[in-house]
Amino acid sequence: MGKPWWHILLLSGITLLISLTVFLLFWPIPPPPVSEMKYARETLIMARRNNADIYSQDYYREALNYYDSAMSGWRDENKRFIYKRNYDKVVTYASLSSKKALLASEISLNNSANLSMKLVLDLKEIDDLIGMLNDRFYNYPLKSEIRNNISTGKMLAAEARVAFNEKKYMVADEAVRKSKHLLASSYDYADTHLRDYFKSYPQWKEWIDSTIAVSSENKEYSVIIDKFSHRFIIYLDGEKISEFKAELSENWIGDKRRRGDKKTPEGMYRIIKIIEDDSTGYHKALLLDYPNAEDTVNFRHEIRMGTLSPSSMIGEKIEIHGEGGRGADWTSGCIALRNRDIDSVFKYVGIGTPVTIVGSMYNLREALNR
Amino acid sequence: MKNKILIGLSAIIMIAVLAGCGKKPQVEIDATNAAIEAAKAAEADVYLPDEFAAVQDSMNAILADIEAQEGKMFKSYGDATENLASVQALANELTSKVDGKKEEVKAEAETLMNDIETVVAENNRLVARLPRGKEGVAVIEQIKADLTNVDASVAEATTAYNSGAFMDAYNKLQAAKAKADELNAEMKEALTKARIRF
Repeated sequence: MGKPWWHILLLSGITLLISLTVFLLFWPIPPPPVSEMKYARETLIMARRNNADIYSQDYYREALNYYDSAMSGWRDENKRFIYKRNYDKVVTYASLSSKKALLASEISLNNSANLSMKLVLDLKEIDDLIGMLNDRFYNYPLKSEIRNNISTGKMLAAEARVAFNEKKYMVADEAVRKSKHLLASSYDYADTHLRDYFKSYPQWKEWIDSTIAVSSENKEYSVIIDKFSHRFIIYLDGEKISEFKAELSENWIGDKRRRGDKKTPEGMYRIIKIIEDDSTGYHKALLLDYPNAEDTVNFRHEIRMGTLSPSSMIGEKIEIHGEGGRGADWTSGCIALRNRDIDSVFKYVGIGTPVTIVGSMYNLREALNR
Repeated sequence: MKNKILIGLSAIIMIAVLAGCGKKPQVEIDATNAAIEAAKAAEADVYLPDEFAAVQDSMNAILADIEAQEGKMFKSYGDATENLASVQALANELTSKVDGKKEEVKAEAETLMNDIETVVAENNRLVARLPRGKEGVAVIEQIKADLTNVDASVAEATTAYNSGAFMDAYNKLQAAKAKADELNAEMKEALTKARIRF
């Protein structure tokens, strides 16, 4: 008796199923991109260790994006039927990721090394700028805004140094950039201010030559006060015979324009009074004929032109007096000498002695190099 | 014959069960991600950046391992699950460690603040003793401007400190302290030169 037909059908089905299973078991499955992804991950870790996330942000971000795309592609492929999976795109993304990560790594190392070198130079430049500001403008009357800028610039430089020492080069670079801007603009302002001031040098030179010539001609004593170098110089017969350190007014740059501007006047004056009693609060004093005719003309002209307020008053009582030696520019417009120096000066000068006050006896370059 | 059929069917069922039995440890993945997020929220990336990066790297490696398993006929998530537990523990440890590190930085910032307070107080005393400016009114004005800037920097650091940004505060205070010390030395030198006791 033959087997029933369903029995044959079942056996055939089972045989087919077993064959299919065996076939599927031995049919090659597309290999997952494990090694490619591992390499991509390792290069990304290396890039980050080389601070590529800071110094090569674009490439590092690209590498990360490619890695994320690879992972996402991998997940998508894994959702497909096992034999239909294709990891080519994943491998491509992983490869791109590792290439970008390697590039980011290399660029980061270069960038951080270059930035470090740049910062060393920048910090040196800032030190030089601070040095120049100190050398030229340490006791130079500057606007409080400029003083504040210099100060902020120095503070930022200190912050940059801390960041640099901690290898936070980007932070240091930002602080350096701001510091340099503040210090350089302050220096430029002060330098321009100083150059503008020295535009009066030809006039000062005329006064100096004239004063020395008169001293020589009349064989008499004359005094020249050089505000920039803070020197009080006595001439006799056109020759320098003595020199003292002078202290000036708080805001000594520029000519005196009005009462209360805390400036020491510039011009050719004469001593009109010798004060040795208590009427001067400063040991001894020599009163100058300030304001002279030219000062008065200038003051009235400024009032007329509106460059001075109509309520302004012209300055007066400009003296050469004692109580100096404080190491400061502190007067309201007078010239202060040490007591022992004014005692010496009293031996040479008298009523009518010419006193010429100038911004500088030397041109700007000479004055700065002295 | 029947037995053969049954054996064949059992084999197929076993293969099917083996191929599909490994279940992706999604709960563990979510828990570990949450632990990493918690560490980040606690600012582990700011106060312990290297450790935090290591945890993230480990997590990425595990996720790749899981995907590799996903691609296999016979999945096994045993190692991945174990590793996820380790990374989760590390992330949790990091979260608790970050508080300690924060306290450390906070304490350092506080020490710096106290040090600066002392120097600033001394600087204010010294500046008043300068002879109307060390070498001129302009100089004293500059020193005063510098002192004001140090104060401003300390104020910024204090704001950062009060908002819990201890690292920012610490970095700012370091620079302020350096500047305050520099001014202190400058004024002491000037006063020594001027033979003024301080």
